[in-house]
Amino acid sequence: MKYLSEYRDPAIARALIERIRRTATRPWTLMEVCGGQTHTIVRQGLDELLDGAVEMIHGPGCPVCVTPLEQIDKALALAARPDVIFTSFGDMLRVPGSDCDLQQVRARGGAVRVVYSPLDALELARRTPDKEVVFFAVGFETTAPANAMAVWRARELGVRNFSVLVSHVTVPPAITAILNAPDNRVQGFLAAGHVCAVMGWTEYEPIAEQYRVPIVVTGFEPMDILEGMLMAVDQLESGRHVVENQYVRSVRREGTVPARERVEDVFELADRNWRGIGEIPMSGLRLRKEFMEFDAERKFGVAGITVNEPAECRAGDVLTGRLKPPKCGAFGTRCTPEHPLGALMVSAEGACAAYYNLARHRMAEPQEVTA
Amino acid sequence: MCLGIPGRVVELHNDGGFPTGLVDFGGVRREVCLAYVAGEVALGDYVIVHVGFAISKVDEAEAKRTFEVLREMSRLDELEWIADAIEPSPGEPRDALSAGNGRPR
Repeated sequence: MKYLSEYRDPAIARALIERIRRTATRPWTLMEVCGGQTHTIVRQGLDELLDGAVEMIHGPGCPVCVTPLEQIDKALALAARPDVIFTSFGDMLRVPGSDCDLQQVRARGGAVRVVYSPLDALELARRTPDKEVVFFAVGFETTAPANAMAVWRARELGVRNFSVLVSHVTVPPAITAILNAPDNRVQGFLAAGHVCAVMGWTEYEPIAEQYRVPIVVTGFEPMDILEGMLMAVDQLESGRHVVENQYVRSVRREGTVPARERVEDVFELADRNWRGIGEIPMSGLRLRKEFMEFDAERKFGVAGITVNEPAECRAGDVLTGRLKPPKCGAFGTRCTPEHPLGALMVSAEGACAAYYNLARHRMAEPQEVTA
Repeated sequence: MCLGIPGRVVELHNDGGFPTGLVDFGGVRREVCLAYVAGEVALGDYVIVHVGFAISKVDEAEAKRTFEVLREMSRLDELEWIADAIEPSPGEPRDALSAGNGRPR
């Protein structure tokens, strides 16, 4: 059990928790979409504090975790090439591929560089014209505008030794896939606030309407999540199913229009595999034909790589809410953040790593009576 | 990479029509693309930045509060990548990335 005293404003947290408990006349099952929200919920023990009023299923909203194994293997193949400097956000380096990860490729002499922004990778390409610089363009709608702009700039500046390995995914088709699953238990969603800061929430309106499911655009801080839960529970209790915005301070209905437009200039919708889940139709982005020269898969002939995921990792069951990480047979034994079987144990936003770190944190802290 | 980090715009630049600015994230500074908030953001404003791109403007109180929450929750790992990005790996030319986006730090 977590301590309310750890909250910045325990009185507000207590009041919100009380209101959720009072509002819920039966237990409701909600899904938070964003990995940042999962991190907060598990770390702060929010679902435990709610004492059964709300069950949270942790959704597939961690880009590190859902990047399919075949894209990781393509990254490893590219990074091992002597003519390539492979660039990536830092949290992709330890994601296990079929037989190693990017960090190991680097240890064996591969040029693998962590960058903060895709523009760093583009700048590196401009400064090292005798090398091919490949950027691993992963992420949800939060990183798509950055990656789109890097490709746009590369064309504008005529940088020919820059390309991107694209593994972009989008949230709304994943929500639809979860709702379409025959054993779906999710009754309401907390949509990812930062994704909606870019994209707005108009895409979610037909989903709420068609599936009669409340969707609340929610931030990632503990108070945001409690308030988002309350709004979703309130809708469920009163039989409403609309999109509401908890994260008013950052999100507008239309999102950030110039960013959306640049994403559409450079990318188009495509079918995409999700690690542990499989293919979701039209759930990803790929480069438009006009930008094909920047497609690393085409440039280096790795598009054909396909792999089967290891059977022991049950990431798919976790991502769809059928399995809580600690119930997995490999959790904490054959699968740890140091030796992960799958991506959910790698990223700080992965559900498995979040539970693992919490367990470790609790073992280290003195036992006290809860508030 | 999904949580934006708030920072304050301390310099405005224009790289041949490409609007950028130096943004201060609690003492860590780096060049950020301002194209998506062009016309909205002035010197001294606070912005939410995703992987080098300002996505929205926020007020100062909200920016400072959010930054503190991120710090408390140990969610500022992206700021470490900024530091990483300027450290070349062994054998690579020092100047490859040390100047960031071509500007002195």
